[in-house]
Amino acid sequence: MPSKTTERAPAERPGRGPHRRGPFARGPFGRGPLTLRARRARTAYLFLAPALLFFAVFYYVPIADVVHTSLHTGPRADEFDGLGNYVDAFDDPAARNSFVVTLLFTVGTTVGAIVLGLGLALLVNRPLRGRALFRLALLVPYLTSVAVVGLLWRNILDPQLGILNRMLREFDLPTQQWLNTAPLTTLVVITLWQISGYTMILFLAGLQGIPEVYYEAAYLDGAGSRQRFWRITLPLLAPTTLFVAVMAVISGLQAFGQAYIITNGGPADSTDLYVFHLFNVAFRSRDFGYSSALSVLLLIVIMVFTALQMRAGRRREVRY
Amino acid sequence: MDRTVRVTVYTLLVVASALTVVPLLYMVALSLQTEGETLSGEAVLLPESPQWGNYATLFEEAPFADFIVNSLVVAGGITLAHLLFDPLVGYVFAKFDFPFRNTLFAAILATLMIPLFVRMIPLYVMMSDLGWLDSYQALVTPFLMDGFGIFLMRQFIQPVPDDLIDAGRVDGASEFAIYRRIVLPQTKPALAVLGLFTFTFQWNEFLWPLVATSSEDMRTIPVGLTLFNQEHFTLWHLTAAGSVLMFVPTALILVFSQRYFVRGIALTGLK
Repeated sequence: MPSKTTERAPAERPGRGPHRRGPFARGPFGRGPLTLRARRARTAYLFLAPALLFFAVFYYVPIADVVHTSLHTGPRADEFDGLGNYVDAFDDPAARNSFVVTLLFTVGTTVGAIVLGLGLALLVNRPLRGRALFRLALLVPYLTSVAVVGLLWRNILDPQLGILNRMLREFDLPTQQWLNTAPLTTLVVITLWQISGYTMILFLAGLQGIPEVYYEAAYLDGAGSRQRFWRITLPLLAPTTLFVAVMAVISGLQAFGQAYIITNGGPADSTDLYVFHLFNVAFRSRDFGYSSALSVLLLIVIMVFTALQMRAGRRREVRY
Repeated sequence: MDRTVRVTVYTLLVVASALTVVPLLYMVALSLQTEGETLSGEAVLLPESPQWGNYATLFEEAPFADFIVNSLVVAGGITLAHLLFDPLVGYVFAKFDFPFRNTLFAAILATLMIPLFVRMIPLYVMMSDLGWLDSYQALVTPFLMDGFGIFLMRQFIQPVPDDLIDAGRVDGASEFAIYRRIVLPQTKPALAVLGLFTFTFQWNEFLWPLVATSSEDMRTIPVGLTLFNQEHFTLWHLTAAGSVLMFVPTALILVFSQRYFVRGIALTGLK
């Protein structure tokens, strides 16, 4: 056992059980304190063993493995190539295109999810009859599989047989080929259709955390509703907005199903989302070395983004 | 609220809800149309004679019964594993003091930052080496636990009074009995949230089952449905019928436990 076991925890530290203080500190069964602590530690490790094994085998080994593989090339990814795959990735127009496409997609879905989520939350937060029903209706798409969402919208937007164009035709309006003329925007809109209910619930929780007294004070001071929104609601919601932004960026950068199901990356790679691209390099071209490097690069981007957003958020936090 | 505001708010909410619900209702309508109706150029919102037989045809055209069984086994198995392991691990981190506790907890939380796309290639190779590709083992084992569930349960167990646990010790209960009989019953609301979340997200999971299966009868519903649609892209009435079936458990869970979902999502937003 490492020497840490012999250190006694300071008795006043909060969160630790009282069983190490008081009359039974020396052990209720006539054993010394070390034995008791060691026994408890043994129990802890016994209960933890499956989890430690699981996270090692299914998270940490794969991470080490993907980094290792990314440094190799060849059909079996067994020839050492140093940073060759990473250099290739920066020179590869297809990889660069898919990164730009994914960034645009992520900006669109993140901004949209914040604006729509906050807007819907402000509406649902009012004392209305039937608001539980509205909340339910708005949340449904989020709990629907991307497969169902993707297939449904592909049908709805189909230029010939889709209901949307049929309706436009019925009203003698010009029909559209959404997935050809504005494919990425269409994917952003479909994704917003799916996730805005989720961000609405997050904002709703944030709104309910703002104490009523601030609004009352502002009201007495003669602040209008617009002022109350910009001066109270929005600044006090900053932690929620940050959380929503981080979540939306992380999931936007990882979007896959939309490209796989709705557009197959096209037309002309204009919706070649990064993870879809990575999936094709790995499982269609069978280039595990290069695709591993691509996945490490995206992981680094996600981690840097998250860290930057957290830092920016901490600096902007408002207290009243 | 004055009258105009109230009317505006209601109008906006009705429009927004209609935008989310009507496409899903259209999916149901589509599933009851004939193949001809789905392909004709006319807008058919309500089919003249609902084709309930489409649902039977779906089971003949694709091994849809297999898809359902696979999805139930995979999502159900993973959910059970989470309910078994996450609270136990959360309990240890909430109530035990042992060497490297904080380091190990940080290591488990850090896995939340490791998305599936990073694990996908090495896991595929691992499953291939084990000969597990295209089997339930490959679909279930990488998801037996997760950092989020453990974190959630630890947060929930921390306020359980230590005196309650010590009382069990004084009575001579075994450590596992203390967990099973004293701690676990206190966590029922959190277990409900954890179970519903895990099941719904695993039921909907798309990427890993797509990567890890190759034979048609091992596919889960989302993968089976998507590939069915790729192979029979004109059979929209059947794709829609499959989508409706896939959506049934989600709808049931939502109707009967919306409360848990809303609370659970709000919980994930807390820090």
